[in-house]
Amino acid sequence: MIKVDNLRKQVMVADGELEILRGINLEIKSGQTAAIVGVSGSGKSTLLGLLAGLDVASSGEVWIDGVGLSDLDEDARAALRASKVGFVFQSFQLLPALTALENVMLPLELAGAEDAARRATEFLHRVGLEARLGHYPNLMSGGEQQRVAIARAFAARPALLFADEPTGNLDGATGTKIVELLFDLNRSEGTTLVLVTHDEGLAARCDRVFTMFNGELSEG
Amino acid sequence: MAPASHALSARKLLARDWRGGELGVLLTALILAVGIVVGISAFVARLQTALEQESLRFLAADLVVSSRTEPPETWAEQAGGLDLATASTLAFPSMVFADNDAMHLASVKAVTDTYPLRGELRHSATPYGELATARSVPAPGEVWLAPRLFALLGVDTGDTVSVGEAGFIVSGALRAEPDAAGSMFSYGPRLMMNMVDIPATGVVQPGSRVNHRLLLGGNNDALTEFTDWIKPRLDQGQRLLGLEDSQPRINQTLDRARGFLLLAGSLAVVLAAAAIALAARRFSERHADYVAVMKSLGASTGYISRLYASSLFLLGVLATVLGCAVGWLIQAGFFMAFADQLPVTPGSSGISPYGVGAATALVCLGFFAWPPLRRLSQVPPLRVLRRSSESMGAQRPLDYVLSALAMVGLMLWYSGDVALTGGVVLGVAITVGVGFLLAKGLLRGSRKAGMRAGSVWRLALAGLQRRSNSSALQMVIFAIAIMLLLVLTIIRTSLFDQWQAQLPPGTPNHFVINVAPEERSDFAAFLATENISRERLYPMTRGRVMAVNEEALAERDSVDSDRRQRESNFTWSESVPEGNALIAGSWWSPGTSESLVSLEQDFAESIGAVLGDRLSLRIGADSLVVTVASIRTLDWQSMKPNFFMVFPREVLEGYPSMFMTSFFLPEGQKLALNTLVKEFPTVTVIELDLVIKEIRGIIDQVGVAIEMVLGVIVLAGALVLVAGVQASVDVRIRESALLRALGARKGLLLGALWIEFTVLGLMSGLLAVLGAEAAAALLQARALDLSYSPSYAVWPLGLAIGGGVIGIVGVWSCRRVASSAPLTVLREV
Ligand SMILES: Nc1ncnc2c1ncn2[C@@H]1O[C@H](COP(=O)(O)OP(=O)(O)O)[C@@H](O)[C@H]1O
Ligand SMILES: [Mg+2]
Repeated sequence: MIKVDNLRKQVMVADGELEILRGINLEIKSGQTAAIVGVSGSGKSTLLGLLAGLDVASSGEVWIDGVGLSDLDEDARAALRASKVGFVFQSFQLLPALTALENVMLPLELAGAEDAARRATEFLHRVGLEARLGHYPNLMSGGEQQRVAIARAFAARPALLFADEPTGNLDGATGTKIVELLFDLNRSEGTTLVLVTHDEGLAARCDRVFTMFNGELSEG
Repeated sequence: MAPASHALSARKLLARDWRGGELGVLLTALILAVGIVVGISAFVARLQTALEQESLRFLAADLVVSSRTEPPETWAEQAGGLDLATASTLAFPSMVFADNDAMHLASVKAVTDTYPLRGELRHSATPYGELATARSVPAPGEVWLAPRLFALLGVDTGDTVSVGEAGFIVSGALRAEPDAAGSMFSYGPRLMMNMVDIPATGVVQPGSRVNHRLLLGGNNDALTEFTDWIKPRLDQGQRLLGLEDSQPRINQTLDRARGFLLLAGSLAVVLAAAAIALAARRFSERHADYVAVMKSLGASTGYISRLYASSLFLLGVLATVLGCAVGWLIQAGFFMAFADQLPVTPGSSGISPYGVGAATALVCLGFFAWPPLRRLSQVPPLRVLRRSSESMGAQRPLDYVLSALAMVGLMLWYSGDVALTGGVVLGVAITVGVGFLLAKGLLRGSRKAGMRAGSVWRLALAGLQRRSNSSALQMVIFAIAIMLLLVLTIIRTSLFDQWQAQLPPGTPNHFVINVAPEERSDFAAFLATENISRERLYPMTRGRVMAVNEEALAERDSVDSDRRQRESNFTWSESVPEGNALIAGSWWSPGTSESLVSLEQDFAESIGAVLGDRLSLRIGADSLVVTVASIRTLDWQSMKPNFFMVFPREVLEGYPSMFMTSFFLPEGQKLALNTLVKEFPTVTVIELDLVIKEIRGIIDQVGVAIEMVLGVIVLAGALVLVAGVQASVDVRIRESALLRALGARKGLLLGALWIEFTVLGLMSGLLAVLGAEAAAALLQARALDLSYSPSYAVWPLGLAIGGGVIGIVGVWSCRRVASSAPLTVLREV
């Protein structure tokens, strides 16, 4: 469960202070799917970063399963991510020096899993890439890379999955396939899913839809 | 995150990341640094051990106990108990009789079968005949004679001679004995016999004037123990002789060579360190994304630090092992390839060179590779969402200072020489400091010039200017690499010229002493008809320094005084002898009858005399007092007659004297010596040609070693270059992609690259030339004891290397930038 209370984020820029998030309130229950839509630059990624504990808020609080993130130091937040959080990014963020299999194994290894290779192979099967285990990301198409990223996100069986414009770098047909895959896996794993998107169709498939406008969030 | 520590191991990280390229440069640079340091240290250590052995030759042992009476049995027993090898010699003057009634005073030396423990005894079947190769001493019942004793006694090999009551068969001619130096000038020519025959001669009685020597050889610990044991047991007339009592000959040459090699080596290490720093930096920049992803997946800062620290450690261990192997191979290969030409058998290097190598790896990694990697743990995980978000923050200035200090410390440690290190550091500092300013100025100027030039030039020069800081830095680093090469070239040339000048062809290789005054002109005529050129004939009078300022010096053999009476060869000269340099006082005016003397510096020190002191001398039965008028230094390596004590002609001429000189005899003319000793039987010939050959041999070896080091420097420089270009290649690909998308032809991009790197190289060359002159001036003047003159010859060399090498290697390193298809280029972004 995610609970957000009056979350604010300001940054210092050359000509003064920029207010990116202006008091966000939000509650998402376990197993729900939620979409955040909004124009570019409205603060969606910033919010996602704060929800996942990648960054710290200027004020306000984020609770993940009852744990307040502002009480945790960076390493404790990392530990929380290792045990509960998965990510899918717009730009895939695969490590180019690692093969598909090794990329998927990475979060499992970080969480200290004994059977990382087996589980990673299993998830690559589930995304339909069983033939490409030993391939490097630069030899794959965008859709394939994103499927590897999805396998990586689910492999560690996170309770929470964040996706930042997962189809943003893909053409329409490929994007649709990726969306199907995401929702399939989400259903079978029972994950809480928070995704940022421009895609109206994608948003409509979620239990709840939030709109970000100029640093403020509203449902619907 | 404790369980995670075993998950992604450092080994996996390294193995997976190998394709990135920086690890290759990092490892190569590290291996190079360790290898060069180990190689040089081991080479020098082995050569030094060998040369120490060489010096010990002059004792024929590692340690000698000299005694006027027969040493007690217990000494040899004690030595045997310590596992020391022993040999004994006994020397005394005795008349030798031939069957034809000829007789002559000889300096007899009896030796045991184990003699000598160090060095070699050389003999031939006939006087000046071919040297026998087998190692032996005269067999019982046989003797070997000095070549001129054959002439003096009128005997041939196979004849019989007698010493005291015993008769011996002459079985060979004694050509060289390692510990001859002390006895060279005394008594008569040498007769060598076996120790077992001594009782039969009946000539050695209690109280007769003899010199017993117990020779000892073995490891240092045992020798030290023996020394401690015997010191309190030594009586009057018994002395210990060790390494410091034998003559250092080529040590000066070797010391210089060593300094030079280590200097060159440390320069290679500096370059390697630069390559390591560049590669580590790029490695960490590329890994920033890697770390951000790992952090977003839950890796802690501690985990990241541990991961990269252990990767580095693993890399360090690998590089140390491989580097030590490379270093071992370098020196072993060297000694193997040149074993035949090497006049000495290389000793062992011991373990310490490998320790030095490991320490080098540690410093290189700790101070050059680790700082950029350490900052990786500070990468914010937010980077996965926003690439532009601030990455690692700039490198701390403190890191730069620490790296510089570490490098200076390492160089100091290698060379053990403050001036040498200072020279290099100053040169590098000038190049970096002045270089950076100059570089930026040059870049700005060239950009202005480029605006008026064609588009290729404009593109190239704008590229340089746009990356002005990194271009300037690259320029300076390249400049240092070239500078090191130039400094080495300059110093190497002047070192070699000096070394060669020390022993030019035709250096005298034979000494003759004991030429009687009335024989002088005949002797000179003889050499002239044999076409042998000689030095001038110096008069030589044997004398002894008894007192300084009326304060009597201790007896010659006294144990507990280092200022002893000194016996020496006196000569006279109206002018400063050739090759001598006055360091105090002034030379007398020719024809003076004042009682003056000129002393050699070390000799003056050994008797404790300074300028103006009065020396009481004894020549034969006469006494005289002279005043020290000047102090001189000699060039011992000149192979010309040298004298500790030189007097005005008037003072010495009245005393009986013999003459000496030195001359050069080519190998093929060796048999002329036979005629010489027959015609002038009283003359003693000292053959130094073997010694000179050795010195030559070592100089040649060192020369080859230096060339090898130069090769390594070039390699290190190229590594820096590649590492530097690698750092900019990603950005370049992106820029090229854009330019090609805008319609730039491949030829234009390639041309721009050529211009950019050649211009960069030429500017580097210019900086390097300036830096090299500064460093060479200081090094030559201070550290290497040579005189400085600007080396204009290296100017075109510096510019050519700069433009050429950097142009070619630079363009080659980023050939991908211009030659890949625009589409590929776009995809690689
Ligand atoms: N660290 C920062 N410094 C300056 N501006 C920032 C920073 N982080 C975000 N911004 C700005 O805040 C706004 C919101 O960014 P973001 O959350 O990435 O928007 P979205 O994901 O909705 O497109 C943008 O205008 C962005 O430029
Ligand atoms: Mg965004």
